[in-house]
Parts: sequence; C-alpha cells; structure tokens
Amino acid sequence: MKINIVTTRNGVRETVAYDYRPRQEGERPMILDVLLQAQATTLPDLAFRYGCRARNCGVCTVDVNGRPRIACRARVREGDRVEPLATLPVLADLVVRRDGIARQLQGRLSADQRAPDLNEEAPETYHALTACIECYACLDGCPMHARNFADGADDAAAPDAATGYRWGNPFSLLKLQLLRLDPCVTEDGRRAALDAAVDLGLDACVGCKGCKCGVGIDLKGGVVGELLAAAGDRLPASAEESGA
Amino acid sequence: MAIEIEWRDYDVIVVGSGGAGSAAADAAAAEGARVLVVSKDPIACSDTKISEGNATVRASVSDADTEQELSDNLRVSGADLPLPALTEAYAKDSRAGYDWYRAHGLRPKINQERQGPYARPLAKGGHTVARSVGHKNAGVAFSHAGWDAVIESTAIDYLEDAWFLDLAVEPAADGAPGRVVGGLVYHAAAGVLVAVRAPAVVMASGGLNTLYFPKTDTMRGNTGDGYAAAARAGADLVDMEQVQFLPFCLTAPASYEGLLVGEPSTASFLGVLRDRDGKVILDGVYLRTRAECSAAIMRAVADGRGTANGGAYLDLTANARLPRSGKGFMRYLETSMPSAYRTARQALAKDAVRCETAWEVRPAAHYTMGGIRVDATGASVGGPDDGTTAAGLSGLFAAGQAMGGVFGANRLGSTALTENVVFGLRAGRGAAHLARTRNAPPADDAFRPLIAAATAPFGRAGDQAPAHLKLELQQAAWDCIGPARTAASLDRMDGVIDDLAQRAAAVSIPEYTLWNQAFIEWVELRSLLDVARAVTAAARERTASVGGHVRLDRPAVSILAQPYSTVVRGRPGPGGVLNFVAERARRPRTPTARLAAMRLKDAWRKAQAKALGLLPPRLLDPILDRRYQAILGPQDAAPPVTPGSPAAAVADAAE
Repeated sequence: MKINIVTTRNGVRETVAYDYRPRQEGERPMILDVLLQAQATTLPDLAFRYGCRARNCGVCTVDVNGRPRIACRARVREGDRVEPLATLPVLADLVVRRDGIARQLQGRLSADQRAPDLNEEAPETYHALTACIECYACLDGCPMHARNFADGADDAAAPDAATGYRWGNPFSLLKLQLLRLDPCVTEDGRRAALDAAVDLGLDACVGCKGCKCGVGIDLKGGVVGELLAAAGDRLPASAEESGA
Repeated sequence: MAIEIEWRDYDVIVVGSGGAGSAAADAAAAEGARVLVVSKDPIACSDTKISEGNATVRASVSDADTEQELSDNLRVSGADLPLPALTEAYAKDSRAGYDWYRAHGLRPKINQERQGPYARPLAKGGHTVARSVGHKNAGVAFSHAGWDAVIESTAIDYLEDAWFLDLAVEPAADGAPGRVVGGLVYHAAAGVLVAVRAPAVVMASGGLNTLYFPKTDTMRGNTGDGYAAAARAGADLVDMEQVQFLPFCLTAPASYEGLLVGEPSTASFLGVLRDRDGKVILDGVYLRTRAECSAAIMRAVADGRGTANGGAYLDLTANARLPRSGKGFMRYLETSMPSAYRTARQALAKDAVRCETAWEVRPAAHYTMGGIRVDATGASVGGPDDGTTAAGLSGLFAAGQAMGGVFGANRLGSTALTENVVFGLRAGRGAAHLARTRNAPPADDAFRPLIAAATAPFGRAGDQAPAHLKLELQQAAWDCIGPARTAASLDRMDGVIDDLAQRAAAVSIPEYTLWNQAFIEWVELRSLLDVARAVTAAARERTASVGGHVRLDRPAVSILAQPYSTVVRGRPGPGGVLNFVAERARRPRTPTARLAAMRLKDAWRKAQAKALGLLPPRLLDPILDRRYQAILGPQDAAPPVTPGSPAAAVADAAE
C-alpha cells in the first residue's frame, strides 16, 4: 500500500512515497501504523506526534487528504496523502507548533474565578464539553483562527506561535464556555469568560456554517451558539447585521 | 552551526505536566516561587489524561474508612514494600489532594448525604473499603483541571516540546551527593538548549512503560527520562524492578496491540484463562491479582503453549452463555470499564465482543511502581532503610510515577490519580520552601559538561539510527525484564544494553536544531538504556517473585521473609551508560498471623468460587442473576456490599 507522506526537514518540504507492508493478512491499518512502520524501516528520523494510540490524548492529529484526522484511529487507504495540520506552523515533518493556542488563554482564565463550595454538580452540558481531547481538528476552516494568518504569516517564525495567538478558535471558546457552565465559578468569572470570547473575535462566528469537532462534540450548538446568544448586541454591528 | 544556548532563572523547575506536574507547579507558585514547567508533550497530555478516571477518596462512602485503614491497605497489598511514611501521607492527604482537582474544575457526582464526591458502594481493585470515585469522560476530565491550573497561574511559565536532558549538580566538598543548581533542556520547538538555573527541581515526568513498547497501554512519552536524569546526577532509585503489567491487553489487530480490554474482575464469576490448546491455565480469575494472571500467561508462553501472538485466551463464554445471568454479565462488562470495553468492541470480531468466543490477551506495561527514592515531602533521600534527605540529592523532588516507594510491589486500582496530586502538591511545596532557603550563586560550571554532552551529537555522521536502536531495546526488554524473568534473562539483558550502548556512540544525527527528531530519539534512547540497566540491577537484587516481579525460575516470597525494597545507585560505566550498585532497604513486616489469616480468607473465597462453578446451569443461573442485580442495581443505586463477601467479589479486581 503506497502512502504519500509530506516531510519538512530544516525548512525543506518534500513528498515521500512510503510502501506500507501489512503485518497481518487483511490488516486495515491506521495512519499511525504507517508512520510507526516508516520510522522503524526507511524513515528513522520521521517526526510525528503520538501518545496513547487509543484516541484519548489528542496529540497525533494530522491532515489526511487535506482534512484533519486523529492518526491512531483513522484508517488509511491506498494513495492517501499525509501532511502536517495546515492550520498551525510546521516544526518538522508532521509536527506542528501547538502552544500558541493554549497560551492565548493565559491571563484569561483565573483561579480566582472559582467559588469555594465544590459540592455542586455540573450540568450534562458541562460534561459534554470536558470530552474535548484538545486534538485541534476544530481549527480547520475556522475563520476566527484564520485571522491570525491574514498577513500571510504561516511558518514557525510567526510571532504569535510562541506567545499566544491574538485571535481565538473553537477550542479556546470551549474552555471559556466551560467556565460559564461550571456551577462553581462566580458570576464575575462567567462574565470575564464571555468578555474573553468577544475579545478573541467571537464576531467571526456570526454567519459561519460551524466548526467540526474531532471527537464529536457539538461545537456549534454547545459552544459557539451559546456564546453568541450570550454576547448578543456586544458583537460588532457589522457582524450582527449578517445574521446573529 | 552550533546550537544556541539560552539562559534562564527560576526558583523551581517542574519536569512534566500531567497530574503530578500541574499540582507541583501550582503548589510551588502558591508558595511564591517562580516556576518553569518543562513538558515534552503538550501540556497535560499525560497518563493522567488517558486513565480510566477513577480516584481514591478516603471516607467517600463511610467514616469507618480511617487513615489507618487506607494506609494499611496500600502497604499490605504492596507486599510490605511501601514506605509507611509515604502510605500515611497518602492516606492523610487523599481528600485534600482530590479537592485540588475539583478546585480546578473536576466535577464529580455529589453524595448529598455525605456532602462529598459520590463513590459506588463497591470495594474494587483490591481495596478493603469502597472509596473509588468515577468521572464522566474519565481521565480527560482530570487533564482539563491540570491544564487549567498551569494556564491560570501567572507565576507559572511553561515550555512544551521541551526535553529535560540533565540535572545540573554542584558536587559537595565531602563527596556527599551534592545539590541541584538547575537543569538543561532541549526546547525542540525553538531549536535551542535552555540552561535553567534553579535551586529545586520536581521530577513529575512519568514512568518507563515505553521500555516495553508496543506492549504497553500508556503514553509514548514514558521513556524514564526522570529516573535516568536523577540517577545520572547521583540520586537513589527504589523498587525499580516493580513494573505493573496489566494481564488482559490485546495482541491483535496490530493497531490495538497492548491496549487494555479488561482487569481480572472482567472475567467475572466464570471466566478462565486457557492456553493455545484450550486447556485451563487459571481459574477463579476474578479473584486473582494482576500479577498472578500475567504470570499464568507468561508461564504458558514459556512452556510453548502460548497463542500465535505470544499470549493466552481469556474465555468469558461461560458467563455469557447462561440465559438470564448472561444478560447481567454483558451489562456488567459494558459498564464496569467502559473504555476498555470500547477498545474490545472496536478491535475484536463480533462474536468475541458478544463473548461467544474467547479473547486473545497478553500482558502490557501499565505503571511503574518504583522510582526516585523520596521521603514524605517528596525530597530525594539516601542511606539505609527509610533514608534521610542528608544523604539524598539536595534540591531534587519527585511525584507521580517518577517517585517510588508508595505502592511497593502492587498498586491498587484508582490510586494513581490521587497519588499524583497528593505528592505533586507536597513536592511542589517542598521545592518552593527549599528554594527560599537557597541563595545559590550562579554555578554555571555545573552546566558546562552537560552542554558539551548535549551539543556533541548534532551533526554526528554515524551509521546507526537511534529510533532503530530503541526498537531493539524495547523488544529485548520485553523478553528479558518484562512480565516474566529468569536469572539467565537478566544476564542477557545486560549483554543487550552493552551492545546497544556501544552502537549508540555511532548514531547518525543531522546538524539542524529545530525539532531534530533523531536527536530526540537519541535522548530517549539514552534514558531507556539507563533505566533498563536500573530495572535489571534491581531485579537481580530481588531474588524471588513478588508483585510485579515474577521469576519463572524462583518461588514466591515466603510470608515469613523480612520485606525489603531494592535501592539502586548509578555509577558512570562504559559507553556512557550507567552501571548500578544495588542494596536492600529494610521495611517493617505485617504480623505473620495477620498475613496468614488473609491467605486463608483468600483460599476460602477461591474454594467457594470453584464450588459455584460446579453447580448445574439451572441452579447457577438464578444465583448469578441475583448477584449481578445486587452489583449493578438500577442506575447506580447499588445496595452496599460488604467487601470480601462473594457478592462483592466480581467487582474486586482482587489484587
């Protein structure tokens, strides 16, 4: 089975055709199996992230034929093209720089926002969101995240990649919405979470057809829709007119 | 092109960002320390995140669950290897530790009557008392809390994609272990070496389970980096031979190799283990420990009776076949370990998922019980028996899988998520306190040899690929120091390590510095070689089977024997790989009468179980049906079940 793997070393990008050899008769390998075998054979220095091999840790996401897939649970087919996530700067081969996403929430979450009484149960809507494994598949097609690269900055040297992106994404909105749903967060904390969502560019969600979660969370209904409804007329007027 | 060196100053470095690392960082920051978290994986992407999400919370079900009860439970199950000061600390802090997760957003179901987290009234996983709290979304819910703790604090800086290479140590004048003055880090995302000056370092870097890849169900990053760095800096390691193998992990399909599909309790009342030819190699599986089940499988394999993929068959069909209780069994299977059953459902054929055919299983590495030798504050200790900080590596702390001594020869189910926060918080506080007392003058000399060693491999034009050497080591580790060992296999392991260490000197590593995968593989290979040597040395000092250390050529430890922990200390050896000297540290023994009584009770339960299996189906079916109803109840409303009673047995992982 021939698989095309896009590699980047020291800034040089090329496509390598790797011939996967099935380990068992009738094997239906995952993308990660191909990467592991390539590393064990002809591409020993192949760079890629993975962790648990069971779709729990969220680090092995790559683009397959242009769409983000969780490599350990994505079946591979003849001729598939495996590339690093197109939505983040490439460090090497299939490894992208991830930390600019989390860093944008530094200073926007605060332990002071948690109320002292912990013996309150969270609603089901809260637990629906803690299913997020931070795989970053949701960055694909996100107009808010795309604003970070509007000036064409798309390499590892992009200033925000190391310090935290200016504009948000569905993952960051999910973290903020969790604060709004947590019964142990103060009113001030909930307000601050909504403020942060607006500041990160929530207006980009107005009129967007919606984001797609790698593990099946209803991001449009459970996160974006809730935030848009709460923000109401606080969003820039131009965005509102287009159908909030 | 030489790699650039970036100098930084902090009070505390925390290595790792799972449950233990995030708790340590938060605790140190709360004490006023400036903290740098160094994580090779993205923040919180750790074993905590991929765990089953059950946490031990003392007295969550009953006030009878005293600190003494929990501490003794840990010690006795750990075959008296656990250090009493550590099990006592665990018992004392278990509730407060758990509440740290809650303070950062973990939201369990609440027991309104007891005003605390709700635990099912079932003692499982070897616990004497019900105290395991389950959570929606399992470990992922815990990782959200740990992630929030790191991101929330303005006193915490972090580097991800950052490999901690070595501790910088200033030697003591009198030849004592010396003191920590910082650490050297490869920050792959920036392509630089970061030399961090700091008087205290908390190792919260996980275990060494990747030494057995792909026969492990844990995170790839468990390459023993923390143990190796600590040992290279002169710190003691304890109980390194004690690796916990879960017996029931998959052998195939290849994509699922090593992943967990069940615990001993999964076998339920009628499940048995069979060899290649269908002969029963272990009955009463649900009453056995993880180690007993693993040993039975590995013995069959050693005798040439293993399955095609080097395992055995877990046969659950007798449970499912009974007309009424069979339905109860399937409900039990689906609900008791949801993520394990999800894996089974994805990986196995339909008839196997319905338990109409047996499952091919093989053990896999799950948890490293040994680790950096510490006291109850998480500080490195050395010397005889309990050890003292005076003889330890000053400034080094450890928590989570990186530390050793709290679980000894066996870890009970659900205890790790509590352990990592209990000792994470203690180590973080301890590190911050120590940092306050040190006005360390910049001791840059201590960094020079480390920088030289880390710079040298870039641009080395050898003929060996580090990634391939790693795979060779992993295969040999499974064969020689895996779930079954012999004197000869330990000797073989030393030979393999010598050979690989020699070849590791001739690796090929490109010159570029931004995310250099070959360099990363070399770093992890170096850790794995050091820890493989440590495990082998400790295993040699452990002369009989106990807990996770199963010797095919030796008997089990006598209950009359004086318990001891193995302590290993590294000495620079040929090829740069450490050699280890091993010693024994005495541990107090549970009174013989008490151990004998426990053995008797255990034998009685096994006899009862055997008798039950001999009943004709028409009598057996209604009995089992009632038991499943008692255990599962309608939607969590299970009635209290007395631990140790036959009704409780199926939920006991019987460790």
